[in-house]
Amino acid sequence: MSLAPTSPIPDRDAASESSDAQGILLEARGVTKRFEGLVANRDIDFDIPRHAIVSIIGPNGAGKTTFFNQLSGVFQPTSGSIVFEGVSLVGLAPHDVAELGIARTYQNIRLFQNMSVLANVMVGRHVRMAAQWYDAIIGHPKVQREEELARQRARELLDIVGVRRRYEQDLAKNLPYGDQRRLELARALASDPKLLLLDEPTAGMNPGETRQMTDLIARLRRELQLTILLIEHDMKVVMGISERITVLDYGEQIAEGTPAEIRANPRVIEAYLGKQATT
Amino acid sequence: MAGSGSIWRRALTVGLVAGVAVLYLATVGLVLAFAERSFVTGVTSFGRVILAIPPLAAGFVIGSRAGSVNARLAAGLLAGAISGALLAVSLLFASAVDIRGVLIRVSAPLISFVAWDQDAVTGAGINLALAVGLGLVGAALRIAPRSVRMPVLAAIIGVVVMSLLERFLRPRLTELDFTDVARFLYQGGGLTVPAALITFVLVAAIAVAWSPVRSRVQRAAAGTDAGQRSTIRAVLIVLLIGALLYLPEVVGTFFSQVLVSVGLYVLLGLGLNIVVGYAGLLDLGYVAFFAVGSYLTALLTSPLSSLGLGLPFWVALPIVIVGAAVTGLLIGAPVLRLRGDYLAIVTLGFGEIARLLFLSDALKPWLGGTQGILAIPDMFGVPRIELPILGVISGPELTYYPLVLFCILAIFIAHRLKYSRTGRAWNAMREDEDVAEATGISTVNYKLLAFAMGAGIGCLGGAVFATHLESVFPGTFNIIVSITVLSIVILGGMGSIPGVVLGSLALIGLPELLREFAEFKLLVYGGVLMVMMILRPEGLLPDRARQLELHEADEEETGDDDSLAPSAPRAAEPTPEGLT
Repeated sequence: MSLAPTSPIPDRDAASESSDAQGILLEARGVTKRFEGLVANRDIDFDIPRHAIVSIIGPNGAGKTTFFNQLSGVFQPTSGSIVFEGVSLVGLAPHDVAELGIARTYQNIRLFQNMSVLANVMVGRHVRMAAQWYDAIIGHPKVQREEELARQRARELLDIVGVRRRYEQDLAKNLPYGDQRRLELARALASDPKLLLLDEPTAGMNPGETRQMTDLIARLRRELQLTILLIEHDMKVVMGISERITVLDYGEQIAEGTPAEIRANPRVIEAYLGKQATT
Repeated sequence: MAGSGSIWRRALTVGLVAGVAVLYLATVGLVLAFAERSFVTGVTSFGRVILAIPPLAAGFVIGSRAGSVNARLAAGLLAGAISGALLAVSLLFASAVDIRGVLIRVSAPLISFVAWDQDAVTGAGINLALAVGLGLVGAALRIAPRSVRMPVLAAIIGVVVMSLLERFLRPRLTELDFTDVARFLYQGGGLTVPAALITFVLVAAIAVAWSPVRSRVQRAAAGTDAGQRSTIRAVLIVLLIGALLYLPEVVGTFFSQVLVSVGLYVLLGLGLNIVVGYAGLLDLGYVAFFAVGSYLTALLTSPLSSLGLGLPFWVALPIVIVGAAVTGLLIGAPVLRLRGDYLAIVTLGFGEIARLLFLSDALKPWLGGTQGILAIPDMFGVPRIELPILGVISGPELTYYPLVLFCILAIFIAHRLKYSRTGRAWNAMREDEDVAEATGISTVNYKLLAFAMGAGIGCLGGAVFATHLESVFPGTFNIIVSITVLSIVILGGMGSIPGVVLGSLALIGLPELLREFAEFKLLVYGGVLMVMMILRPEGLLPDRARQLELHEADEEETGDDDSLAPSAPRAAEPTPEGLT
């Protein structure tokens, strides 16, 4: 079966495929974030190639999530630039960033707990819908059509991530843990993102579930032509699916390269295992 | 088993709580206030009913504990006995020592009422015996199978309601020339004994007959398709509207007035429901929108106002709505960054600021200060209208019919918004503002929209209120209005449209049948809210319509709303396609 949506979504690849199929989707230059004297990110240069899976790793407190939050508009960088498909993200509100095509999940799952599973995914579709409040009140025929398409797409996405159809009317908070993670992913996918930011997508999962999630991420990239940026602690996951890895430590970028290069880098080993490991 | 040890301790606690409740109700004066209100004439008064409820409820609560039937009955008896003993001891104490200096409501009439007009010792004995009996009955009721318990409870409630309706039914039946029926049902301000018995038996019989009927209706409903169901719904709505149009004819002038009050609060409740229930913005200053609606109407329509325009109501109305929506935006803008408690406190302040502005001397030339604005014309500018089907319309009916129209309109708008992209965005914001924003919802816009919509609907209530009373005064728009509207929304169920209607009927309509209770209104509101928050935080009519609506006949309702047990074995089903 194919993962491609049956509902029409803009075919964004037709244009990009020829010009910059191997181009850069997101480019960060000299990104620095200070909180009251604490430097959470210092001078980070970072490229995300189109259709790649890129990971950020680093010990706790290294500034990974802070960097994520600057990409998604939650924080503004103190200095530096972030450009996504030629548009600067600096100064944009999170909802503008979402509309440009960046979607994210959270380290500790954050669903709309008291809404149904289906409604959660449909909220994710918000930016790709147009009905205003007055359309809804007068009952414009396009509203019905749009709702129906959104519902259909939401169901497809639930199938894709593997949340059972029979759960769709249940409240999100009542789902089993693994399904909550998958639902969060479906909500992010519902906005037809170009770049998907995943913050520890396998946290709290057992080895079986982790493998399933890893496979799913790889398939999503392949079949939905996504670009994925991952924060992950599980080295097996990171080394298994990433093309490039960036290592942060105390807010600084200490290494960048392919998984093999990162594995051999003495500074990375030092950051992770302590100084004596290298000597 | 651990249960058998704790059931006694539990009985002790529950009995004490019931006893304290009884003492509280008596010492604040509620019991004596209802002592004169006959329940079943010649048998008992509502004062005694109030005294009886706590021990009965205590027995009922204890009956739900695990344990053998005998243990539960005995525990119920014990709980009743403790509650009764507390009352008996207090009665003896109060009759021996004068405590009126401390508790001013503990008067001689109260003491003699509680003592059944006997001497203190006999009275204490009677109360103890009664409470023991009530505790036992309560436990027995809870232990009895559902098929017995439900009809009995329904019958008891039926008799109480029937007796409360005396205020309304007796004069109305007499007016409509059913004097004999009125005399049979009611005498001396309460139900007659035969009428009480007949009501009890009738309601119980209906309750017994109800469950097979309900299951048949459910089976029939499961067999219908979406088209048929929407037809049925349309027919029901038409019938309901027809009944609403006919209602003033049935209930008479006085209760039409009550219906107008209920309708006003339905409008206010629907508006606040958008702000609090849909968007999750706890607004404690909602009265500001009500006041703005009233004052704008007064300014535009009254020839005596500072503007002196004297516009007709229907010309002024659109201006009022737009003005109120703008006020909503103005109040919304400064609080955009506030959440939860902070938002609640600031809006509370705004409500007070609005009242003080209307009251202030500085604005007196425009808003009239304490004198308010007078001479607001009627909605139609004439005292009576003759219509083809409804006949002559006059008095409160002139307000009632447009009000029903506004309520239907507001319900329609609230309903449409709820099940739309807008409603989902509001709900998402209520659940988690940051995530909603990151998902692409402009929380700034949707907050402002919620305030503007809430204000727009609430101001309709204000406009109707102003023309109905033909004057506005700043004193009307106090914090009690905000709290009452919020109570309506919470009692009915946050976000639930039928909940708002039920909440208004319960908190605005019911007190009219219980005039004795006016003095204790806020006390009872507070109690009701506390009990609701503990026992049923989702409200009386929680919002599950969406769920039912979307359940396309392929699946039976599984019953409880929290039935989703991940561990429950489920029948084999196709594996999720995405992961295989």
